[in-house]
Amino acid sequence: MDIFQVVGIGLTGALLAVYVKESNREIAVLISLATGLVLFIYALSQVGEVINVLAELSSRANINRYYLMIILKIMGVAYIAEFGSQICKDAGESSTATKIEFAAKVIVMVLALPIIMALMESVLRLLP
Amino acid sequence: MNIELIFQIAGIGILTSIFHIILKQAGKEEYSFIATLAGVAIALIMVVQLLADLFQQVKGVFFL
Repeated sequence: MDIFQVVGIGLTGALLAVYVKESNREIAVLISLATGLVLFIYALSQVGEVINVLAELSSRANINRYYLMIILKIMGVAYIAEFGSQICKDAGESSTATKIEFAAKVIVMVLALPIIMALMESVLRLLP
Repeated sequence: MNIELIFQIAGIGILTSIFHIILKQAGKEEYSFIATLAGVAIALIMVVQLLADLFQQVKGVFFL
């Protein structure tokens, strides 16, 4: 099972980071960053299959491919921003983490604008 | 999943802390600082390559 590998890598990285932290704090942050990267890359390879299924379902349901792309882009932005803000929080820079999250929210809103506009237009068409 | 990279970075960290202690005992404070900086730089290069890998993969998966 892959979950044992994931938990093992996580525990090993955490243990090494704690061990190195007292003598060398920057390297401890880099170790936790590398552990997170390895785990994220693994998780991403699984997410790819889910997205393929989603794309097939949407094409079968005749949903516009443009909207699915927007949703996937928003997911990607959220994924990257979450990762970066968690790393900043681990390093003790919670103000930078908050700014990353804020920027991600703005980017998500900009990406979602076409969907909001389409919703508005359909609501206006329904109104007499 | 390449766990070797995590071990490599931890090894760099332990080695640089040992260098730091030895150089401090020998009275070379400025060299100990440079040794720590070099260790951090080497580890950072390795991590940045992995980060670029992650970003490329995210770009591919989410059509960014």
